[in-house]
Amino acid sequence: MTRSRIETLDPGTSTLTLSLDVGLYPRDVLYAAAYVFLDRAYVLLDRDGSRFVVHFRAKRPLDEPTLHAMAGEFENELLAQALRHQVVDANQRIIEDVVAVAIAGAAGDVERGGTGLEGAPLIDPGDAEDGFLDDPQGIARPWEPGKSGSE
Amino acid sequence: MTGWPARDANAASVRLHRALYVEDAITEAASTFAGLASFAIRTDGEHFVVDVSDIARGVDGEVVAEFCNFALANSARRRRSGHA
Repeated sequence: MTRSRIETLDPGTSTLTLSLDVGLYPRDVLYAAAYVFLDRAYVLLDRDGSRFVVHFRAKRPLDEPTLHAMAGEFENELLAQALRHQVVDANQRIIEDVVAVAIAGAAGDVERGGTGLEGAPLIDPGDAEDGFLDDPQGIARPWEPGKSGSE
Repeated sequence: MTGWPARDANAASVRLHRALYVEDAITEAASTFAGLASFAIRTDGEHFVVDVSDIARGVDGEVVAEFCNFALANSARRRRSGHA
């Protein structure tokens, strides 16, 4: 059996224990899902053989339906974090390239190789006539009456 | 299976699995709560065992449980940033 399951649920102590197979989600996903619950519960992770065990103790008293709901929310969070993890993995290279180009551009050191920016018109901040002070469409002019300078 | 230590005790032991918790993260959490309790960290098989003693009374919240949350958050952060 690989799905997660409720091991214990005790409204008297507002505690809940879940377990899930270690192969079901990566450890980072478990961390991320647990992290989301830190503001409303105390969370203790453990491992018992081939299963991760997640102990919750709510920070305020919770009844049984609410504890069941918390278990469901945690499973939903695991799924959401797993998808997020997958998307980040799939787009890691693109994210790194975009950030690298942005940082290089801000530093005034855009590499001229394979970025797609070869020949792109870049503003020269040292040249006052380079265009960034021009306002041919009047975008920078205040629109309020009496402030536009012409009304 | 490890569980929660008793509430309102003057001393408690917490078992944190070594595959899930980073020792430096536990030490950092212990430093954070040093003013509220004394912490001694040792290893026992697959677990770090944290012996918590002299737990301050009258503190808003549970010192040991909050310590566990900090240890978990610190471990997650360190694993993500590749420190462990």
